Amino acid sequence: MIEQALFWTCCLATLAGAIGAATVRNLFHAALLLGLCLAGVAGLYLFLEASYLACIQVIVYIGGILVLTLFATLFSSDIMGAVQRTPLWLRLGGLAGAALASLVAGRLAQFAIANAAGIDRQRSAPGSVPDAIDGTRAIGDLLVTSWLVPFLLAAVLLTATLVGAVAIVKRYRRGASGGAPRA
Amino acid sequence: MLSPDSLSAYLAVASVLFATGVLAITTRRNAIGVLIGLELMLNAAALQFAAYGRFRLEGADIQGQTAAVFVIVVAAAEAAIALALLFAVYRTSKDIDLEQTRELRS
Repeated sequence: MIEQALFWTCCLATLAGAIGAATVRNLFHAALLLGLCLAGVAGLYLFLEASYLACIQVIVYIGGILVLTLFATLFSSDIMGAVQRTPLWLRLGGLAGAALASLVAGRLAQFAIANAAGIDRQRSAPGSVPDAIDGTRAIGDLLVTSWLVPFLLAAVLLTATLVGAVAIVKRYRRGASGGAPRA
Repeated sequence: MLSPDSLSAYLAVASVLFATGVLAITTRRNAIGVLIGLELMLNAAALQFAAYGRFRLEGADIQGQTAAVFVIVVAAAEAAIALALLFAVYRTSKDIDLEQTRELRS
């Protein structure tokens, strides 16, 4: 009973946060609602018995990406409470975007639920409920065996990201201080 | 049907999450709004990986969670690079409205 209530709270937080983050006009509020959505997804990971994923969701997404986004929101001016004039054709574009998004949601949910209903039916046969798995250790084992190449590629990607982000910002700071930016 | 122990519930949530990401990307004019939409879509993908890994017919498998870890890694890298580029665009044009942004170099 309490599990159901917690599950629905997580689902509701995720969906409300996502819809708010996509539609709220004030970008600072949108970023905060994104945080609500990310926390809800972390709760859903816990229901999926993925405690490691829930931890890195909180650490990387809420602690890293969300803080970075909030910082960027505050850094770029005229965001807080700024109401942009929206021409009519752009509002129509927004409506078209909403229609496209609901179309995507409908088709995805249709496919996914049709697919999942079959799996759920077959899984409900007695004896086929999976055991809980010792997730973190198993992930660590997989990362250095069958997922070794993606793991190393991720390391290279993160290094390149670090160097690239510093290089981009540094280059433009030099360009803004008067000297010609070096390519 | 939609309970914590059914795949359908997670997939429905992930579908709506992905669609709101599409909505944000298509309707936002501010680059940070588009970035928020991207994060929503990547979250939906990671959630699907974890859900399918948990509810496999042959029993729960950890491969789905491992794939979701990589999705999160890519999301972190993407956010860092996107915000650095945004910083660069803001430096040159004092605005991050995607309708107005035409060049990265002043």
